[in-house]
Amino acid sequence: MGEVFVVTSGKGGVGKTTTTANIGAGLAAMGYKVVLVDADIGLRNLDVVLGLENRIVYDLVDVTAGNCRLRQALIKDKKLEGLHLLPAAQTKDKTAVNPQQMRDLCEELKKEFDYVVIDCPAGIEQGFRNAIAGAEKAIVITNPEVSAVRDADRIIGLLEAAELRDPKLIINRIRPKMVRQGDMMSIDDIIDILAIDLLGVIPEDELIVVTTNRGEAVVMDQSSRSGQAYRNISRRIQGEDVPIMNLEEDGGFFNKIRKMIGLK
Amino acid sequence: MARSNGGIQDDILPGLGQGIPPDQEDLIDENTILVQRTLRSGQSIRYNGNVVVLGDVNPGAEVSASGNVIVMGSLRGMVHAGASGDESAVVLAFRLRPIQLRISNHITRPPDDESMDIGHPEMARIKDGVVTIEAFQTGGERQVKVT
Repeated sequence: MGEVFVVTSGKGGVGKTTTTANIGAGLAAMGYKVVLVDADIGLRNLDVVLGLENRIVYDLVDVTAGNCRLRQALIKDKKLEGLHLLPAAQTKDKTAVNPQQMRDLCEELKKEFDYVVIDCPAGIEQGFRNAIAGAEKAIVITNPEVSAVRDADRIIGLLEAAELRDPKLIINRIRPKMVRQGDMMSIDDIIDILAIDLLGVIPEDELIVVTTNRGEAVVMDQSSRSGQAYRNISRRIQGEDVPIMNLEEDGGFFNKIRKMIGLK
Repeated sequence: MARSNGGIQDDILPGLGQGIPPDQEDLIDENTILVQRTLRSGQSIRYNGNVVVLGDVNPGAEVSASGNVIVMGSLRGMVHAGASGDESAVVLAFRLRPIQLRISNHITRPPDDESMDIGHPEMARIKDGVVTIEAFQTGGERQVKVT
């Protein structure tokens, strides 16, 4: 039996879809059988981020409505053997499925996959309720911004109300330099407010934009720091104890000098 | 061209008089709907007949017709011609760049690495059981029939 995760944030644009794609790719690269479920019906993106848009024939709504078998709607990734996608419908809306159908769907997916990762839509309405219905564990994404943290706090409250205990936190798009200058919330500031376990921290990285536009996963890029951060998260999900990486290293040469003269 | 689904009317070919000459019978077709706007992501047209779009079909939009599909603009979304099984249906667009193109029960998608831009209208249809895309040339069809 596999595990069902939902990736959620409340606020839009913080990196739910990117994170879902990269966690999925990271776990698949470690040899697990993974299925990513796009629950953002009407505003689907996960297929585009994975570069699988042109392979879609059936979608989640077709499965829940009984128009096709589950197997027919699952799309295999181009590169990673164990990675699969269940795409959302684009021409329907969130009312096209209900929480019970999502629970049934997750039960069925769990039998076949080691990990089921659900990409939740932004907001706290029916789309959110559908997405969390079948999940056993939740991953909350936030940015180091007051508004994103506020929404994450709201989401954590709603998750607890829905009996999804112990959500894990991912802080995305952090800029170590700005944090150092006191212009951005630090990891500690955010954890202080949200008070949940930290699953990982992803530094701001232009490469994310490049890989996303190409339909690739940054996690497969061995040299990038954001890729490393996602690899670490994937390893933590499957139970390994990996320390949070030191984001300060990215300054390279100048950081070393700073360290030498004791500026940091 | 009828704008409603009211069926074939005598006056749709003005100038031809009451009767249509037998050699032009193939000009008469089933229902056609005219869509006078761009179809954006999430919007879809399903029609029992032909569909003509005066605008673009963006990624995430869908056009499904039991007959032919003509897009007087860029076709970047999903298109399905001959949706109820008509293998002779065609898809024609000024810029034919669909995410996925279906004719009858054939499903095709562009190769993953293509990105070149062809500056002329193209037509997709089933030839020898395979969906083929070729430059659209006026008159070509007729000449083939004559010879």
